Amino acid sequence: MLQVAVLGGLEFSPLVVYFPIAFLLAALTRFVLHRLDWYDLIWKVAWFEVSLFVCYLALTVYVLGGR
Amino acid sequence: MTKYLRIFITLLVILAALFAGNWVWNDYMHSPWTRDGRIRAEIITVAPDVSGWVTDLKISDDQVVKEGDLLFSVDRQRYQAALNQSKARTENARYTWELEKHKNERRTALRRQEAISAEDLESSRISTEIAKANYDLAVAEQETAQLNLDRTHVYAPASGHIINLNLRKGNYVGQGASVFAIVQSDSFYVTGYFEETKIPLIHLNQQAKITLLSGGKPLTGHVVSIGKAIANSNTQSNGQLLPQVQQTFNWVRLSQRIPVDIKLDSLPEGTQLSAGMTATIHLAKQ
Repeated sequence: MLQVAVLGGLEFSPLVVYFPIAFLLAALTRFVLHRLDWYDLIWKVAWFEVSLFVCYLALTVYVLGGR
Repeated sequence: MTKYLRIFITLLVILAALFAGNWVWNDYMHSPWTRDGRIRAEIITVAPDVSGWVTDLKISDDQVVKEGDLLFSVDRQRYQAALNQSKARTENARYTWELEKHKNERRTALRRQEAISAEDLESSRISTEIAKANYDLAVAEQETAQLNLDRTHVYAPASGHIINLNLRKGNYVGQGASVFAIVQSDSFYVTGYFEETKIPLIHLNQQAKITLLSGGKPLTGHVVSIGKAIANSNTQSNGQLLPQVQQTFNWVRLSQRIPVDIKLDSLPEGTQLSAGMTATIHLAKQ
């Protein structure tokens, strides 16, 4: 349930919080995939990572936005 | 086989991302929500109906008052004097009328004996009527004087909180000039300024979830009105009555914001509301 991000009396869009969370999740996935050597299973790594980030972002918006 | 699996996994994630991205875009751009909401309340400005010095101030700033409570009193001496004057005038007019009535009765008797002319009698009757009209006028003036005297006490027109009380005992207050405001109890509502592109998604009685900037539990409410007009700066004229047309960019236009009023259903315990607070509003999708 994060509708607004308030910092020192300034109101920010919650996306300011959602973006870093999605980025961290994507980075974590990337790290795990590297560790497990599963990157061979991926065809276009750059496409995959961008898509993964978008999916994580949507998930964060859905879960934290309380929708 | 592994090659196809690789392509399949990647395409699957890309497809999921397309759907997810589309959902996020719609959620932000095509759903009725706004971050531009303000808490509002019904404000009553209190103004004395008579001028004079404030002789008695019964209230303090932010005090809770009930409808009919005495707020302050204006110096009543002038109005008492005016009332006394009116009363004396009324008495005067009443005796004048009685005198005329008496004269008229006497003349009626004299007329029967044909001691006076019909014209004299008629003029005496009319004089009586004039005296009666003068008496009625004096009575009406006395009522006004009484009303002015009564209005030296200013009572609360509604229950609520006193706001911005700068009035002090001894201040001179003018008739009709507001001296402070009362925020009516339980009259809080929310106005959301929605982009005009979102107005088709909004209708009356739509459920709303309101989040205050100060946090806390979200409030609930429902739409009670959608603004039917906002000011158009292009309709203003200058000193020569020429239209003042604003320049705009051809490529980028800002959508107008339309005020939508939302009535609060019930407030969670301990919610502190002040008119003017910032709120984020999400309306239920239909």
